[in-house]
Amino acid sequence: MRRVFAGPVILALSWSLLSAEVGGQDGPATPAEQYKALVKESQSRYDAAQKEAFKSVPKGGVLPDDERTALVGLAYRSKYEQAPKLVGLAERYPRDPVALDALTEAVWQVNTTPYPVEMVGRDPARPKAFELLRRDHIGSEKLGPLCERISYGFGAEYEPFLRDVLEKNPHKEVRAQACLALAHFLGNRSLKLDLVLGDPKQAREFADLYGEEYLERLRRQDRVKAAEEAEALLVRAMRDYGGDVKLPDGETVAEKAEPELFGLRHLAVGKTAPDIEGQDQDGVRFKLSDYRGKVVLIDFWSEV
Amino acid sequence: MQTLKDRPFALIGVNVGGNAKNLKDVMTKEDVTWRTFADMGDAGQGAIAARWNLTSTPTLYVLDARGVIRHKWLGAPGAEALDAALETLIREAEADSEKAPK
Repeated sequence: MRRVFAGPVILALSWSLLSAEVGGQDGPATPAEQYKALVKESQSRYDAAQKEAFKSVPKGGVLPDDERTALVGLAYRSKYEQAPKLVGLAERYPRDPVALDALTEAVWQVNTTPYPVEMVGRDPARPKAFELLRRDHIGSEKLGPLCERISYGFGAEYEPFLRDVLEKNPHKEVRAQACLALAHFLGNRSLKLDLVLGDPKQAREFADLYGEEYLERLRRQDRVKAAEEAEALLVRAMRDYGGDVKLPDGETVAEKAEPELFGLRHLAVGKTAPDIEGQDQDGVRFKLSDYRGKVVLIDFWSEV
Repeated sequence: MQTLKDRPFALIGVNVGGNAKNLKDVMTKEDVTWRTFADMGDAGQGAIAARWNLTSTPTLYVLDARGVIRHKWLGAPGAEALDAALETLIREAEADSEKAPK
């Protein structure tokens, strides 16, 4: 049974956006140059830390689990430490196009599963960053990817931001993404809350990272209502944006919303599980429903 | 798990993003001893994971004896939470089967 608890976490680190050159050094740096310098600084801090972590690993070797986890923590920590500088830049130049890039970068690192605050540090810039996003950039056509990204997170700032975008953004594609993201966020947050309720250690970690008061409010929320709203948002996304709005990855809104709706209607607590049919490790075909009459624990696992 | 051996309980794995050909090797390496669906998919997601909207592993579901989802965890729940959930449902199943005509 231990294997279940020691399971790996799939986490996409997206550093690919971050290769930038610092501009010319003559005269005061433009906002764009300052932004590039900050991004470069983040990257080199992370690279240096990663190099340090990998030093003890022989070429072609594999990093032990705990060290790999520490590396993920390090990524969060260096991002969180850089974030206030990016927010400061956005605050100084609210009308410069780079302001939104800086804010996006500042909140891009979404702590999807709660890495403890001792490991990843706090994320002090988040509230201010979302305050500025809502004040200065709520109508931007570039908000889609950010909406999608934060839908995997838990932070208190995400929900009001997504609601604002959905209500106020003039671009249909962005509203569509906000609609999908809000549905996903509401459903996901309820599920994460289940982890919190069952485990005091995780409850502590969530409270450290996201605030005791917020957690308490969620504990008292009406779960059924949250699920109903998520479902209504997906139905609305299909109706308003369904076939004609294409998302950046090429899928239509309907293609995105349908599996999510399936999830809410068939994969939620209280629903009869869909059957699974396939082959086991010996190539023998079997079905999940063969085990009707027994309590079944389904463990989706992957190779570490 | 030993204590659950003679009770109405089954642990079923779904191997995500693997390759069925070497699944047995992977299971030995990962110390997975329970029956597991091979969910093939080179791009990291097979048909089962796709249908079940899988976003990360581990993801756990607990079904009662009627096949109704009673718990769902996107991540590892604490051992106590998991044990308590299983114990409650297994007792429920045992009580039901006693009530049923033989």
